[in-house]
Amino acid sequence: MIAGKTWREIRVMALVYLLILELLLVPVILLWPDFYVDLQRSSLFRNLPADWMRRIGEGWGDKNEDIAYLNWLSAHLFFKGVNLCGLAAAVLLGTALFAREREALTFEFLLARPVSRAHILWAKSWPTALCVTLPVFVANWSAIWWSARIDQPVPFWPLTLCSLHGALFVLCFLAFTTWVSVLSRVQAHVAFWVGGVTILNIGIYLVPRLRHGSVFRLSDYDSYAPLLLGNQGLVQMFDPIHHAGLSFYLVVGTALFFWLALRALRRLEL
Amino acid sequence: MAIAVRGLKKSFGRHEVLHGIDLQLAAGELLGLVGPNGAGKSTLLRCLIGLTAHSDGQLTVLGHDPASAALLIRRRCCYLPGETSVYQTMTGQQFLDFALGFYDRRQDALLAQLQQHFALPLRQRVRSYSAGMKQKLAILAALAPDVDLYLLDEPDRALDASMRFCLRDALLAMKRAGKTIVLSSHHLREVESLTDRLEFLVDGRIVPTAEFEAARAELRRRLRLRLRPGCQLPANLRVLAHDADGALVVEADGDPIACLLALPRDQILGAEFGAVRLEELYQLLLRADPPQRAAEVSP
Repeated sequence: MIAGKTWREIRVMALVYLLILELLLVPVILLWPDFYVDLQRSSLFRNLPADWMRRIGEGWGDKNEDIAYLNWLSAHLFFKGVNLCGLAAAVLLGTALFAREREALTFEFLLARPVSRAHILWAKSWPTALCVTLPVFVANWSAIWWSARIDQPVPFWPLTLCSLHGALFVLCFLAFTTWVSVLSRVQAHVAFWVGGVTILNIGIYLVPRLRHGSVFRLSDYDSYAPLLLGNQGLVQMFDPIHHAGLSFYLVVGTALFFWLALRALRRLEL
Repeated sequence: MAIAVRGLKKSFGRHEVLHGIDLQLAAGELLGLVGPNGAGKSTLLRCLIGLTAHSDGQLTVLGHDPASAALLIRRRCCYLPGETSVYQTMTGQQFLDFALGFYDRRQDALLAQLQQHFALPLRQRVRSYSAGMKQKLAILAALAPDVDLYLLDEPDRALDASMRFCLRDALLAMKRAGKTIVLSSHHLREVESLTDRLEFLVDGRIVPTAEFEAARAELRRRLRLRLRPGCQLPANLRVLAHDADGALVVEADGDPIACLLALPRDQILGAEFGAVRLEELYQLLLRADPPQRAAEVSP
C-alpha cells in the first residue's frame, strides 16, 4: 500500500531523472572524437594546478584512444550522473519522504495505520531507492550502445561495477536525506541541512590537503577510472582491508543512516 | 474492559499535559470526551493508540499496552486524527482505497450509507475539496473499517449541522452493532445525546462527575435576556455579564422561570434559559484551581 503510493508519487520524477542523465550522456559520447583530436594538440590539461586535475587530464589524453575514452567516460558519467544529478535526485526525493507528510498533516494518519514504523520506512524507502539507482544503471548501460556509434568499445562488466558503486553513493545520500527528513518538520529544513553538508564536502574536496576527508573522495575520477579500466573488480570494491574498498564504506554508511532514520522514527512522538 | 487507564501522566519536556487520568470504558460503550482546547484530549487519544508514549501510569487498550504492543491495538482500532489528514494528490476514491486497504474487513453497509449522505465527488482530486469535504473523506476512512474500537478526535469539525446529524446516525448504528467508540468533540449537546457517558477533561484532568453536575446546575439557573433599554431587573436577578450581542447574562436567585415571568412581558425582546453553553461550562470548571476543585468534591 505505502510502497505503491510512494511509487505513484515519484515515478514521473524518476523518468525525468533518467531523461536528464541520458541527455547529459549523449553529447559527451558523440563529441568525443573531436575532443580527443583537440586534446592531442593541447597541453592545457597537463598543466592544470592540482595533482588530481592533472591526472584526469593525462588520462583523457592517453595515447591509447580506447583507454583515453574510458577515462573520459568515467569522469563524465559519474561526475554528472552520480555526483550532480544522482545527488540532486536523492535529495529531492528523500526530503519528501517524511517531512512532506508532516507539512501536509498526513503524518499522524500514516503512523496510525496498522503497520510498524519499520514497515513504513521500508515501504517508503525501497521504491525511492529504486528510482534513484535504477536510472544510473540504465543510463550507463546505454553508453555501450551510444559508444558503438563512434566505434568505441565499452566493457559491460566494468561499467556495471562502476554503476554499482555510483548507485551505492546515491543510495548513501538518500539514506542520509531520509534520516534528516524523519527529524525535520519542514521539507525546506531537510534541503537546507543536506544541501549544507553537500556544499561543505564539495568545499573540502577542492582543498588539496583536505580532499581525502570529503565524502566526494568516495565517488570521483580516482574511484571510477580503475573500475572502468578493469584494474579493480568486485572483490576490491568491497574489501576495505586489502584494498581501498570504497563501496564497502558506502554500504556501511547507507546501513548506518537507514538505522538512524528507523531509530528516529520509532522514537518520534506526535 | 476495552480501555483501562489509571494514573496516566504525559509530559512534553517539563510541561505535564495529562496529570493522572483515570478512565475505564467497557466494550460496546460510547464515551464522549469534552474539554476546552489544550485540555489534553488529543494527547489522551494519541496515548491510547500508541502514537505518543505515556510518561507514567497504567494503560491498557483492548488488552494490550500501547507502549509495547501498539501494532496489535492498531489492527483492531481506527483513529481519526484531530487535524484533517488526507492526501491532496490522490482522488477521493484513491484515498479511500489506500486507507481501507490496511484492514481485512470493512463495514460496507455503513460505508455505502455515509457515501450516499456525504455525496463526495470521489473521482476528483482531494486538493479540489473544501475543508468540510476533506473532513467527510477522513470520516469515511476512519469509520468504514470493521474493527473493535474507534478513537475519533473531533470528527464533527468543519461539518455543517445536517452532516453532523448523519455522523450521529452512523455512530449510533455502530454503537448498536457493539462497537466501542471514544468521541472527542466541542458540541456538548450532540455528544451528550449520543454517548453512554460523558467525561470532561479540563487542564489535563478528568473533572469528577459531581463537580461537573454542580456546574451544570449552576448554569441552569442562568438566563440570557434581551430587554428593552431602561428595563429594570428585579432583585432576584443578578447580572453576570453583558454579551457582545447586547444580551444580558443573569443568574436567578431561585426558579429561573418564575424570575422570568416576574418581568413585564413588553420589556422582553428575547430570553434563553436551560441551555448549557460549553464556553460557560469551561469558565466555571476552570474557575477553581485543580487542587481546590478536588478538595471541593472529595467527601
